[in-house]
Amino acid sequence: MKRLLPLLLVLFAAGPAFGQTVVQAENVRAELLADVAAVKAGEPFWVGLRQTIRPKWHTYWKNPGESGLPTEIKWTLPAGVTADPIVWPTPNLFNIGGVINYGYQDETVLLVRITPPADLSGSSLKLAAEANWLVCEDVCIPEDGKFELSLPIAAAATPASPVTRAIFDKARRNVPMESPWPARYGVAKSGDPTLIVEARGLKPDTIRDVYFFPAEWGPVASLAKQSAQVTADGIRIPLKKGDAKTTPPERLAGTLVLTEKTADGEIRQAFDVSAKLDPTFVPTSSLAAAAGNEQLSLVQALLFALLGGLILNLMPCVFPVLAMKAAALARLAGQGRREMRRDGLAYTAGVLVSFAVMAAIVVAIRASVGEVSWGFQFQSPVFSLLIAYLFFVVGLNLSGVYEIGGRFAGVGQGLAARGGTVGSFFTGALAVIVATPCTAPFMAAALGFALSQPAPQTVAVLLAVGLGLALPYLLLSITPALQRLMPRPGPWMDRLRQFLAFPMYASAVWMIWVLTQQTGADGVIYALGGMILIAFAVWLLRIGSGASPATWLRRGLAAVAVLLAFAAALKLEDGPATAASASGGAAAGVNFDGWERFSRDRLNQAVAAGKPVFVDFTAAWCITCLVNERVALETAATRHAFEQAGVVKLKGDWTNRDAEITSLLKDLGRAGVPLYLFWAPGAERPKILPQVLTEAMILSELSR
Amino acid sequence: MSNIVVARRSLMLGGAAVALMPALALAASPDVGKPAPLFTAVDSNGKSWSLAELKGKVVVIETTNHDCPYVRKHYTAKNMQTQQREAAAKGVVWLTSASSATGEEGYVTASQANELTRSRDAAPAAVLLDPQSRIARAYGATVTPHMYIIDASGILVYKGGIDSIPSSDIADIPKAKQYVRIGLGEVLAGKPVSDSSTRAYGCSLKYPRTST
Repeated sequence: MKRLLPLLLVLFAAGPAFGQTVVQAENVRAELLADVAAVKAGEPFWVGLRQTIRPKWHTYWKNPGESGLPTEIKWTLPAGVTADPIVWPTPNLFNIGGVINYGYQDETVLLVRITPPADLSGSSLKLAAEANWLVCEDVCIPEDGKFELSLPIAAAATPASPVTRAIFDKARRNVPMESPWPARYGVAKSGDPTLIVEARGLKPDTIRDVYFFPAEWGPVASLAKQSAQVTADGIRIPLKKGDAKTTPPERLAGTLVLTEKTADGEIRQAFDVSAKLDPTFVPTSSLAAAAGNEQLSLVQALLFALLGGLILNLMPCVFPVLAMKAAALARLAGQGRREMRRDGLAYTAGVLVSFAVMAAIVVAIRASVGEVSWGFQFQSPVFSLLIAYLFFVVGLNLSGVYEIGGRFAGVGQGLAARGGTVGSFFTGALAVIVATPCTAPFMAAALGFALSQPAPQTVAVLLAVGLGLALPYLLLSITPALQRLMPRPGPWMDRLRQFLAFPMYASAVWMIWVLTQQTGADGVIYALGGMILIAFAVWLLRIGSGASPATWLRRGLAAVAVLLAFAAALKLEDGPATAASASGGAAAGVNFDGWERFSRDRLNQAVAAGKPVFVDFTAAWCITCLVNERVALETAATRHAFEQAGVVKLKGDWTNRDAEITSLLKDLGRAGVPLYLFWAPGAERPKILPQVLTEAMILSELSR
Repeated sequence: MSNIVVARRSLMLGGAAVALMPALALAASPDVGKPAPLFTAVDSNGKSWSLAELKGKVVVIETTNHDCPYVRKHYTAKNMQTQQREAAAKGVVWLTSASSATGEEGYVTASQANELTRSRDAAPAAVLLDPQSRIARAYGATVTPHMYIIDASGILVYKGGIDSIPSSDIADIPKAKQYVRIGLGEVLAGKPVSDSSTRAYGCSLKYPRTST
């Protein structure tokens, strides 16, 4: 009964109201506003239903989520006048005891475009609306109101008061913009969709709180949390199928919300996404989806990781190492059980320690940078090159180009070839190093989970992978029954070993290909040249032995050759900046149409000439920059105003490192983009504009 | 999301309540066409009901919260009661589940439940008392009223709303497609339910605030 009373009061209050623009209901104050003071025939204008919501209560978005209802507006308009559907501001997520709602709190403005006919006549235009909305905290109250707005008709439209215009400005800023990136989605066998937004060139560590609000009930469930993966290739969001019993729609619509960390703080951005169904994209592994739904418990994750480690033994990367191990084992077969057991334990320890080191690196990077994606090491061309060398060297060994007799002690391979416990330990470490390239594509999902967890879980999952990798060998070494199944040593071992060199060479080729993706074609020259040098060094060391001066000369030459090979890695270091542009995406991201390229000289010259100057420092990976361009800098009105005022427009592209721009940012005490500077005509010092721009802001700046 | 509303009650528990949120997250709602989750519960007259023992009969589950405007809509219009009587006449077991957690809106004691049945002239086979929201959670119920139909072999054949027009306006009931009535008709005729999963609408179900 106590709930009914306020409801009756609301109905009573709202009932007789007529001819008003404000309705004060129990939990929401609603007001109908227009962005014009007078309307002109045929010229569209905007009205807004502004809801001021009782603290901690919320009203709903077009898709209310798992409960609730969106606000509705029914219009009664004079003949010929049309009202478009509501343009919805970006929603927020509310978790009401486990029930997920999408909506608004505190204040929201629902925008509607009204178009009067060209033959509009009379002295005023009367807009009548009946609105109803559901407002909830933990209880829900339906409220409604009748509104009437009367606007004079004039020969020219006049804008509303500055206060009202500011409300509309803010409201427009809250409306998601059309996504600048293509999007697609695929459906896993389980029926769970995965959304891919091809936002190339983003900086993953600057983006957090990514959430996709599905536009309607049905295809996608409303999740409390989504585990989006942001990489330089784009954004991937594993979702959960909704309750609609229909086939996946041709297009999956919704609003993508993310928070971008910029030099001056964090900015929440929203984009309307319409993802096309991609039948060729079938997201694999329930792991990805499960990780997304936080359904994957630690126990499950450990189990999957162990399994993943086991399967890793079958991957071509690890094969040769296992062959080495099998050969060693066969040799040991004649010896006592104790030696075998010690050997197996040492190998396992080597694997586990290596994984622990990797886990420590991951945790450390995450602690300092905040975010890490697996395969991060492959973003470094130096790493790719070194791994390619390692494959090549191991391949040469397997081919029998050189034998190991402790001559290369110091190289991991040499250590691994040592007999006994130490040798086994380093074989384990070597197995992990060569397995790394296989883990990246293969176990992305499990590792993705590991990386998203707190440090202890990350370490636990990575160790589980290691244990899985070592397990078959460990079992073999401690189980006599299994040992009896081993084939006898013989010439076949040599032949197998030589054969296994070829997958190694193939892996090296693959790594070089990865390298070319990172550095362009030049990488091939350095990598292959380096390999020739290494082969040369191996050959030099092979011929002869003893301490004769000739041997020392050869050793010296070999060392130089190896050094040169590694110098190639240093040569690659300055490559990464151009890497992104080589792949095409990033360079295309910054558009110079209508802008001059920024340089200090040009800037000084224009300022000295007393011209107004606008400088836009941007980057292809900066979402906020992109949004500002779309909504404020590249609109027809702004372009026109720039032209009228004769503004010199300079644009600085900070996508790749640029010393000139960096130094200027530093002078102004900025750590990054976006940065907008405006020199009024004759001004000596620039005005620094806010990081979030609106058209109105630019226009007022120019007209000052 | 920066703007998550923390309900008053959880605020007192501060971070702990937020940390427990994942634990409170609903189990995925069961799929239509799969066996319905089993449960046992005590009704407002002290009788025990077990879904397993109802095999051979068609069962309807209705989550309720008598103070929710959407529940009131269907009771004030007698829509719910009429459908309960129709179902009973065809041998269908209609179970109304009062799944609001203790102390939350819609929580009822046994005597309050019986009083509501009497005053609203309702006719379910039983009103189940579910103060820990166990049944609601098992079925992934998000709102009141959230409706489910289970066929004679224990398979979930319908989940969703009571009808097709999500509003609190009584005048919409005659215009709406009555999904549950249509679905029951199809099940009893041995036909597949044509709209077997629809959007449920209403107030959010009042789950317990803390997980214990």
